[in-house]
Amino acid sequence: MERTPEIFDKIEAYLSNSLSQEDAIIFEQEMAINIELQEEVEKHRIMHTTLADQDTLAFKEKLIRISNKIKQEDTTNTRLTNRFTVFKVAASIVILLGVGSLFWHTMYTKNQTQGLDLYSEYYKPYPTEDIIRGETNKKTKEIVKHYTSGSYDSVVHLLEKHPRLKEHEALQIYLGNSYLNTNQEEKAVKEFKNITNKGKYYEIAQWYLSLTYLKLDKSEKAKTLLKEIIQYNGAYKDKAYRLLIAMKK
Amino acid sequence: MSSTTEEQKILEGIVAGDEVIITAFYKKNLPYIRKYILQNSGNEEDVEDVFQDAMIFIYQRLKTDSLEIHSSIRTYFYGVCKNIWRNKVRKNKKLVITEYLPEDIEIINPTVFKDLECKEQEHIYRKHFLKLSDTCREVLCLVFQGMNMKEIAKVTGYSDAYTRKKKFECKRHLIEMIEKDPAYPELQSNPEKE
Repeated sequence: MERTPEIFDKIEAYLSNSLSQEDAIIFEQEMAINIELQEEVEKHRIMHTTLADQDTLAFKEKLIRISNKIKQEDTTNTRLTNRFTVFKVAASIVILLGVGSLFWHTMYTKNQTQGLDLYSEYYKPYPTEDIIRGETNKKTKEIVKHYTSGSYDSVVHLLEKHPRLKEHEALQIYLGNSYLNTNQEEKAVKEFKNITNKGKYYEIAQWYLSLTYLKLDKSEKAKTLLKEIIQYNGAYKDKAYRLLIAMKK
Repeated sequence: MSSTTEEQKILEGIVAGDEVIITAFYKKNLPYIRKYILQNSGNEEDVEDVFQDAMIFIYQRLKTDSLEIHSSIRTYFYGVCKNIWRNKVRKNKKLVITEYLPEDIEIINPTVFKDLECKEQEHIYRKHFLKLSDTCREVLCLVFQGMNMKEIAKVTGYSDAYTRKKKFECKRHLIEMIEKDPAYPELQSNPEKE
């Protein structure tokens, strides 16, 4: 059955008892011989009854939010546990190989942990003020709403199919940040690297790219980028300088 | 604090939508439900669906003062989860239950059992409605509250024509998403009318 606005209007009128008695009888007769229409009416009936209950909808929304929060915590814990396991294995090998190797491995692990600590210290999601000012586009408002509430999965979902993503560098920055917050670092690298125009967003992309490398334990790549940001002499110069110093400690 | 007071606090927290209490309950009980569902042909998405459907069931029962618990909330909750999952598995004959749950289960009475079956379609509708865009949700919420197009246009600031167009598109999109849900055809072949 082809769905049209007219059929929907008629079904709604029937369900809300606003059809005239005569029209209601004709509609019921039509339903009696048309199974598809009967099923369609039933779908609308359940939809109206179920979704009129705003409290339950709000409760479900809350459960989804809580579930996402727990998943994110679990992912972080798993990553830390994995790192700890790697550390334990490395430590065992180190004991076998002697004190010299122990020193080397300890330093290496320290650097890994230090990298994550520095990432947590320096990483702040790119603020949304930039895009909110004067923004009237509903889609963008929706993206910003999800982004500010930490629903990064939803931001990824919306932005990955956004028709104007390639021409909107701010949105690419938000997508990169959302990848970072959903543990999709490789995708974040690709997204930040896409911003090649030497404009306002270039420096921002370089900054987040360096943080992504830091998170990925690619400290040499991060350092190279930080040096470039310092040379660029823009808004991120001081932060880049402080981070570079901290990485060298 | 006595366990009865603790139980009471959890129930009050759920019905009040207290995020701290619900999060604590979620974290504490999710591993048990996950273990049961994964051992009985389910996947992670099933775990989330069943857990949340059971929470909603309890929430709605609390709201209508119709929750009758003869054991602990935890045992009751496991019973609800188990029944929801058994229903789904029963409708999808490819799946197998190996009958394992790490806790005692409260026996759910037949009326509640029937109610659980009826709620399955509602859960699918809710799940997909929440995936719609903000505009769609705004317009459809007003439709479901019984407003006509003129009233909705006034509230949202959209034109009458745009409101009508949006209402149709959003409803159609929602129905299409529901129809594509793998659980939907199974419910259709086993209709449980209220």
